[in-house]
Amino acid sequence: MNKIAVIINNIESALEIKDYTDAFFLPIKDLSINYPNTFTLEEIKKLKKINKEIFIILNKNIHNNELEKLKETLNKIEKLNINGIIFYDIAIVNLKQKLNLKTPLVWHQEHLTTNYGTVNYWYEKGITSAYLSSELTKREIDEIKKHTKAKIFINVFGYIPMFTSKRHLVQNYLDTFNLKTKNNNNKIIKEGKNYIINDTKEGTTVYSNYILNPKEKDLTADYLVFNSNFIDNKDFKEVLINYNKEKNNFPKETGFLYKETIYKVK
Amino acid sequence: MKKPELLAPAGDLERLKIAFIYGADAVYIGGAFNLRANADNFKLEEIEKGVEYAHSLNKKVYVTVNIAMHNKEYEKIENYLKQLDKINVDAIIVSDPAIIKLAKSTNLQIHLSTQASTLNKEATEFWKKEGVTRIVLARECTKEDIEDIKKNVDIELETFIHGAMCASYSGRCVLSNYLTNRDSNRGGCSQICRWDFDLYNENNHIKGEKPFTFCTKDLSMAKYIPNLIDLGIDSLKIEGRMRSIYYIATVVKVYRILIDNYCHNPKNYEYNLKYEDILRRVANRDSVAQFFDGNYGKDVQYYNGRQEITNQDFLGLILDYDENTKLAKLQQRNYFKKGDKVEIFGPDKSFEFTINEIYDEDKNPIEIVRHPKQIVYLKINQKVSVNDMMKIS
Repeated sequence: MNKIAVIINNIESALEIKDYTDAFFLPIKDLSINYPNTFTLEEIKKLKKINKEIFIILNKNIHNNELEKLKETLNKIEKLNINGIIFYDIAIVNLKQKLNLKTPLVWHQEHLTTNYGTVNYWYEKGITSAYLSSELTKREIDEIKKHTKAKIFINVFGYIPMFTSKRHLVQNYLDTFNLKTKNNNNKIIKEGKNYIINDTKEGTTVYSNYILNPKEKDLTADYLVFNSNFIDNKDFKEVLINYNKEKNNFPKETGFLYKETIYKVK
Repeated sequence: MKKPELLAPAGDLERLKIAFIYGADAVYIGGAFNLRANADNFKLEEIEKGVEYAHSLNKKVYVTVNIAMHNKEYEKIENYLKQLDKINVDAIIVSDPAIIKLAKSTNLQIHLSTQASTLNKEATEFWKKEGVTRIVLARECTKEDIEDIKKNVDIELETFIHGAMCASYSGRCVLSNYLTNRDSNRGGCSQICRWDFDLYNENNHIKGEKPFTFCTKDLSMAKYIPNLIDLGIDSLKIEGRMRSIYYIATVVKVYRILIDNYCHNPKNYEYNLKYEDILRRVANRDSVAQFFDGNYGKDVQYYNGRQEITNQDFLGLILDYDENTKLAKLQQRNYFKKGDKVEIFGPDKSFEFTINEIYDEDKNPIEIVRHPKQIVYLKINQKVSVNDMMKIS
């Protein structure tokens, strides 16, 4: 049976929805990207008390001068006895081996987590879970699940990051033309479609113009991930409560589940 | 001092030959599974010809196999690797580690693509243990990152020195998928980063003199070639498998000169700004060093949208030369006429002259050459060679 995992906006919301979820995915301060809200290890430690599975998201691209901080953080995470670290940078795999860390890893190179051959490559390295790309079709997800022993995580609700940069693209624009904004609630618009653009200390992320929301409960994955970022906590709770009824107040949006991307146009 | 390899892009056999003639030590080309799905990619028999030609010059050919595979590509890739192995390509450039595992049953050297975003020594060490022989560094690497990796891991490092840049971390952009249904990580990138967007803060349109875009200036490391050589970089890579023969010839020649000059006499090396002018002119876009010197602020952004002027400097390619008549056979690439002052350049020559005599294919005198790929004859007193090029002076 699928487990429900959620990405929360704050600790208070975790307490509100704890009865409707099996796991929390928590982006960590200074070492994660694409999530507007991050958490300290102290906050994560407190959250452990509500007795749910905890996965820490550690998905930033790591420069050499951040390796010491990364090592220190990995050692501290080890003592928290959590269920896993969702990683992007391969430095984490090497450090797990060198530091002999026991915390399981979840391979999540976002848009690159796309086939069962690579899921199995990491499985053979002891990385027994893969959090798949949101740009796969349902058929591809089913095939991956069929061809691997790894546990599979997929996104099923929320805005999807579709662009991540180290550059401060909003700030650079403002600086170039001597402009100012009141706050960081920015969006870009093209052909009537709105895309949230979030320029933070770690760089810039742009999100899908829609909330992924297939309203299907029979998806083949071990963990179904619901992301509440940029969504009101109350509305998000309703989504979780009604998940089994395959309904909620947000429009149905299946993303790429039934739409295959092309890459050769001639 | 170790002289680094100069690695050039090649979109087809013609560009492969031009890259080698103008001074590249190695080229990288696209085959069946690469990130330029819509380029004129090499078929296996063309790769074989390219490899034979390169090896005859004691040079190398690397094949990019750097897509993020979906299941259907994964199921086909092993056979393709075996075929590449059979035709003796010097290395494959990969980003998906499933390919590394499959390639272990072949003799193929494995270079890890910049798509894998390797920025640090720990990741580099991991890939070395996996059998990777060269890392193509992430474009976000600073000078300090490169220094630290080189000092701590004994592996070949390759870095981009010239060409277009992704606005995102490599592999972390799927704008193309969402806005045009084309898979950027399987070669379908439709360059959404160059589109204009309206930027809003809350409900207020934040409007500068030019529209918001993700677009960045190009990369140029011409000024930093000595630094890269001193850092011990093994391969200096030029971006642009879809670029013209003129672009490849010009850029390869400039970097060949810079590398050779510095390695020949590092103490007395002086950087000449004229090379920057040549590079700027061939690209039509501003270029800067970007992350290497830690500068990725407003000065690296590019707000001119897609309104770039087409480069019309390239006038023609020399196909033959008769030393007795002094007539050069030339294939036209842009309009020129009698009286124009032009420059001929080749791998080891560069001179200016004024066009005084032009003849059509039947040797009738003409005044103007206006048709693309038109074959004409020009009277050039100084000796020219096949594959020399003529450009606006």
